[in-house]
Amino acid sequence: MNVFRTRLPARHLPAARAFTGNRVIEFSIILSLLVSVHALAGTQAPTIRLFPTTVVEDLRQTSAVAKEMESGLQEVIARLDQQQQLYQESKCDGAEDDPGCQRLARQLGATYLDMLGIMEERLPDMEHTVNNTRLSLEKRLRSELGNKMTPWMLQETLLGGNSRETSAPSPVMRGRSGMRLSERFKRYYELVASSSSQSDQSLAVLASDIYLDMEETSELIARTREEITRATLIEQLNQSFGAITPQMMEIVGGVKSILFGDETSQIQIAGPPPGSIERAYRSPLEN
Amino acid sequence: MRKLKARAPFNAALLITMCSAMLASCAATPPPCLSPQTRNLSHAVEDVKSNLRGGGCAAHFDRYYDELLSIAEGDPKTENKRIFSDFLVWASDDGLLSQRQARDYYNRYFNVKFTSMQGDYNNCSHTCPRRARVMLDMQRELGDKERGLLKVSLDSAGYYRADELYQEIELVLEATCTACNAGR
Repeated sequence: MNVFRTRLPARHLPAARAFTGNRVIEFSIILSLLVSVHALAGTQAPTIRLFPTTVVEDLRQTSAVAKEMESGLQEVIARLDQQQQLYQESKCDGAEDDPGCQRLARQLGATYLDMLGIMEERLPDMEHTVNNTRLSLEKRLRSELGNKMTPWMLQETLLGGNSRETSAPSPVMRGRSGMRLSERFKRYYELVASSSSQSDQSLAVLASDIYLDMEETSELIARTREEITRATLIEQLNQSFGAITPQMMEIVGGVKSILFGDETSQIQIAGPPPGSIERAYRSPLEN
Repeated sequence: MRKLKARAPFNAALLITMCSAMLASCAATPPPCLSPQTRNLSHAVEDVKSNLRGGGCAAHFDRYYDELLSIAEGDPKTENKRIFSDFLVWASDDGLLSQRQARDYYNRYFNVKFTSMQGDYNNCSHTCPRRARVMLDMQRELGDKERGLLKVSLDSAGYYRADELYQEIELVLEATCTACNAGR
């Protein structure tokens, strides 16, 4: 039974035929449009735009600012290391009343103040570029992965269309890189700059990785800036007494590990054992 | 009192009839839904099918499925996946399971993708508010995938991809949900 057929009076038939003819043409146009849109959708999967040029530029700038800060601090930190070594070799621990040790402590304190000064000068720039990158990525992640995707779509994006293939090894590991700050940002920049050669799958992971890293770095910079004012004041007071506080050594150690990385903390993640992909069975029930 | 005495033989007869009726019904009761007695997966599937086909055992489907998985773990091979798929297609065709249930039973154990990561709404509004719950469900599902993919079907590549996907989703959701919350 044709459910679309209706009985019309004879006088209406020519008009009805014309109407039906028009509808047929309309429907065929709509149908062909739908088919072509569908075909287009089949050939061009929607791409996610996580790294527009602004984000790439922000990353490049962050790397450059970090590099500047590092080179400014490198000489001062090397000097601090030497002075600390001399202080320890001179057996000054526990001999703070010795005039020679007091002189060494003051020199150490002055270098420490230099380090704080450089950081105070360079950190606002660093904070600014890191925040810019963080905010651009935040906006992109919210819109592309948060608002435009359902959980299932996100999963499919991460699988990259082929759930049977193991993905390429992750390019970055958040917080475990153990490398210089500038090097880390440079690496990010290089990965993002070559993003056209990467799949959406690794881009989503990369964007998330960089964003979370920026969040931590941004928080760390804000905390460090707060601390610098306090530490400078304390050290200026200490200069009058020539004392070296354990906190002073701790801060120097912290700055070194943030800027220059920790060589021993590189963690390698084992890859999956080789599995046979050819034998893989695909069930009609599979999503 | 007299009335009761007069009805005593009738009551006794009624009691006897009821008891005999109960005994007769006991004899006609189908045997309880027995577990498959064989360790051969294909034979076990046939046993389960005949139990389920007889009616009355459909409520035990979960138990049967678990028992079949245990049997398959004893003899893991790649074609086990197909046996489970065929069994679930049969269960769906026979009306024991809906299409959706059959898909979920299969995908939870034998597919890399997570059935726990489903939903019709966007991640900011749907997944982020219940992220901890989603991750916990996925963790449990990963355990089932270990059983289905690794221990039953020897699909180590599939299992390790699922494990990797779990970690990627954890990272991406952490970043995406932080970004979603920051935008509120």
